[in-house]
Amino acid sequence: MSKQYLTTHTIDDAHVTDIFSLAVTPTQILSASGASSIKVHSTTSPDIPLAQTLSGAHKLGCHHIVTSRNGRKAASAGFGGEVKIWSISESGEWVEEGKIEDGNKAGEIWAVALSEDGQFLASTTYDGRINVWDVVAGRKKIREYETKGSFGMCIDMSRDGRFTASGHENGGVYVFNNDTGRMLYSLPGKSSLAFDFYTTYSQTLGLVKPVRTVAFSPAGTRLAAAGDARVIALYDVQHGEQVANLTGHSAWIFSVDWSDTGEYLLSGSFDGKGKVWSIDRRACVATHSETDKTLWCVKWLPKTGKSEAFATAGANRSISFYREATGG
Amino acid sequence: MDFDLLSGFHDGHQDGTSHQLLSNLQSRGRLTHEQSAEVPSLAHDVLDGSLRPLDSNQVGAVINKIEDIFEAIADCILDEGKELVIPFKTRPKKKTTTNDRDGSSKINRSLNSEAQKVVFPSKSPQEAWKFTALLRILELSHEALVTGTVTTKRDIYYRDPELFMRQAVVDRYIDDIAYTFGVGRDALNVVAAAKGLVAGSFSIKRKEDSIIDYSIESEGILIPGVKEIESIWMFDVRWILVIEKEAKGYPDIQTRQFLRLLSRHRPEIPILTLVDFDPDGIGIMSTYKYCSMGLAHEINLAVPSIRWLGVRSCDFLNTKHEIQGLLSLTARDRKIAMKMLGKSIAEEERDEEWRRELQIMLMMNVKAEIQILGNGEALGDWLDKKLLEATWSAGE
Repeated sequence: MSKQYLTTHTIDDAHVTDIFSLAVTPTQILSASGASSIKVHSTTSPDIPLAQTLSGAHKLGCHHIVTSRNGRKAASAGFGGEVKIWSISESGEWVEEGKIEDGNKAGEIWAVALSEDGQFLASTTYDGRINVWDVVAGRKKIREYETKGSFGMCIDMSRDGRFTASGHENGGVYVFNNDTGRMLYSLPGKSSLAFDFYTTYSQTLGLVKPVRTVAFSPAGTRLAAAGDARVIALYDVQHGEQVANLTGHSAWIFSVDWSDTGEYLLSGSFDGKGKVWSIDRRACVATHSETDKTLWCVKWLPKTGKSEAFATAGANRSISFYREATGG
Repeated sequence: MDFDLLSGFHDGHQDGTSHQLLSNLQSRGRLTHEQSAEVPSLAHDVLDGSLRPLDSNQVGAVINKIEDIFEAIADCILDEGKELVIPFKTRPKKKTTTNDRDGSSKINRSLNSEAQKVVFPSKSPQEAWKFTALLRILELSHEALVTGTVTTKRDIYYRDPELFMRQAVVDRYIDDIAYTFGVGRDALNVVAAAKGLVAGSFSIKRKEDSIIDYSIESEGILIPGVKEIESIWMFDVRWILVIEKEAKGYPDIQTRQFLRLLSRHRPEIPILTLVDFDPDGIGIMSTYKYCSMGLAHEINLAVPSIRWLGVRSCDFLNTKHEIQGLLSLTARDRKIAMKMLGKSIAEEERDEEWRRELQIMLMMNVKAEIQILGNGEALGDWLDKKLLEATWSAGE
C-alpha cells in the first residue's frame, strides 16, 4: 500500500552552501542557507522560477526561516544571532520589517516559529528558554517560559496559536498553553501526566536523545517529535500521551512536516532519506533516496490541486520538488 | 565571588588535572626538571568539560577586569587632561620565584603587597614605557581570552620585541597583572612554555654541531628552536602530520616556526593536520595556516599549504550505529564558532569548507575529539587510509 511521488523539478545549486531551512506560502518557497542571501522561488509555475533574492539578509548565514500560514509574514534567524521579520508588500515583494532583539545578547535566539496570522513569533534559546513575541505590537516579548536549561533545538506553534511546543537537546519536549502562559507538559516533568509522557518516551527510545524537530498537526491535536533517536514519536496534545511510534529511519531525523489534511507526515534525515508516513496506518508509505547528503529540511507545499506536493533541501544545495502520482 | 571561583579552580588543578598530566608526561620519559616546573600551567589546556563552566565564568570575569581598565583609560582620554592610570600591584618579593615557576600562581593575599598606579603621561620615561608594556600585555591577553586561544609568554614577547626588550619583562609583568587581578596567570590565557613535540624520519644538525636523530624517539621530542638549527635532513618523508595532542592545544610560536621551516625547506611534502571537531580545532588549524585567526602578526609564521585531514562531521556521523563520544557545544564553543564565522566572512577568504563545518557544528550542537575516530588500531587504520588518499592526491 505504498504511495508514489514523482520528482517534478529540481532547482540545482539553489544556494552555494547547505540549505538549512525552507518555508512556504500559497505561492512561493523561501530558502535559507549557510550563505547570506535568502531566496524566494515561485511555486505557481512548473519551472519554479526565482522570484526574489534577499541579498545579505544574514551575513553569517541563516539557519531557520519560517512563514505565517497566511503567507504575509516571514521570520529568519541567522548564525550571527539576529532575527529578522519580513512582510510581503502590495507588489508581492518581501521587505524587511524589523528585527527581534533579545536584550543585547547576540545568539540568544535559535529556532523560531510564527503563528498562522503572523502576529506571534515563538523562539528558543541555547539555554532552554522559550519566548513568545508579539510581532505586530512593537515586537515585544509577551511570554517567557523556563525549561531545564537544555538547548532548545526546535519549536512549533499550533495553527490556532494556542500552543507552543519545543524540543530540546536533552530529549525533553515541552508543550505550553499560550492563553494561560503555562506549561502543559514536560518531559521529563513533574506532573503525573508528564511522567507518563516521559516514561513512554524513554521506554520506546531507549535513551533520551536530542529532539531536533517538532510539529503540530494542522488541527492541533497531535504533536510529532523526532531527532537522534531515529524514531518519530506522535503525541496526543490534549492528554500528553504518546499514541504512536514511527520507525524506519536509520539516521538522525532533522525535519518533519504535516500535510495539509493531517493524513501524512513527511520526514527527512541525515542520510538524505525522505519518507512519507500514513498517520492512519502508522506506516511509511514512500521513501526517497535521491541524495545521500543530509536533508536539513522537508516541507509540504500548500495543497493547490488534487494531488499533494512537497519539497526537500539540504547538503546537496538543491531544492527538489515531488508530486503525488495520480491515476496509478 | 571571583575568589570563590578561583579557589575551586585551584583545587581542581592541584588535586586532579595537573597530577594526571604530570604522570602522562613522565611516561614519555623526557621531562627535565625545568619542564616539570611548568606543568601546572599546561594543565589549563586539559581542563575537561566538567571544569569548563567554571572556567568560562572566570574568563568572563577577567575579560571584564581588562575591559574596565580600557574603558577607564578611554574615559580619561575623552575627558581631556586627565592622566591615564593602570592599577598595578607587584608581587611580594618572597613569592616571586615560586610564582614564576608555577603558572597557577597560588596567591597569598595575606602578604603585604604594594598597590601602585602606573600613570601616563609621566615625567619618567621608564614609567611611560612601563605603561605601554602593561597596556600591550593586557591587550594581548584580552585578545587571547576573547578569541578563546591560549598564548605563551614567549608569543607575547615576539608580538612586540622592540617594546618589551627582554623576555623577562613580559614574564614579570604578566605575573604582576595576574596578581593585581587576584587570579592565576593561566586565567589570562597565558601559559609558560613551548610544548610541541615532534617525531619522525629526520635529523637536525644544531649550530653548535650536535646532531639529533628524531627517528629513534617514538614518543617525540620537544620541538627545537628554529634559531638553533643549522640544517635538516629528511629521509623518505612522504607527509607531515600535525596533531592537536590535547584539547585547546593552540600552537606556540616555536612550533609554528618549525613547521614553516619544514614547509619552506621541502615544499613538495604535503602537510596535513588532524584536530578535534570543535571550534578550537578549526581555530588551531587556522592559526597554522593564516597565523592567528585574522590578527596581523609581526612575524610571518603562516603555513598556507597546510591541509585538513580531519576530524570532519562526515568522519563520524555517517554511520548507522550509535555514535559514541559525541559532546555538546558549550556556550563558549558557540560563541567562538560564531566569532570565527564572522571573521571568515569579513575577510572574504578562508575555506568554504571550514565555514560549513562551523555552521554544521552550530546546527547540530555537537563536537567530537580525535578519539571519536577510534583508539589505537582503529585510529591507525583511519590515518593510513586518509594519509594514503592525501599523499596520492598531492602527487597528481
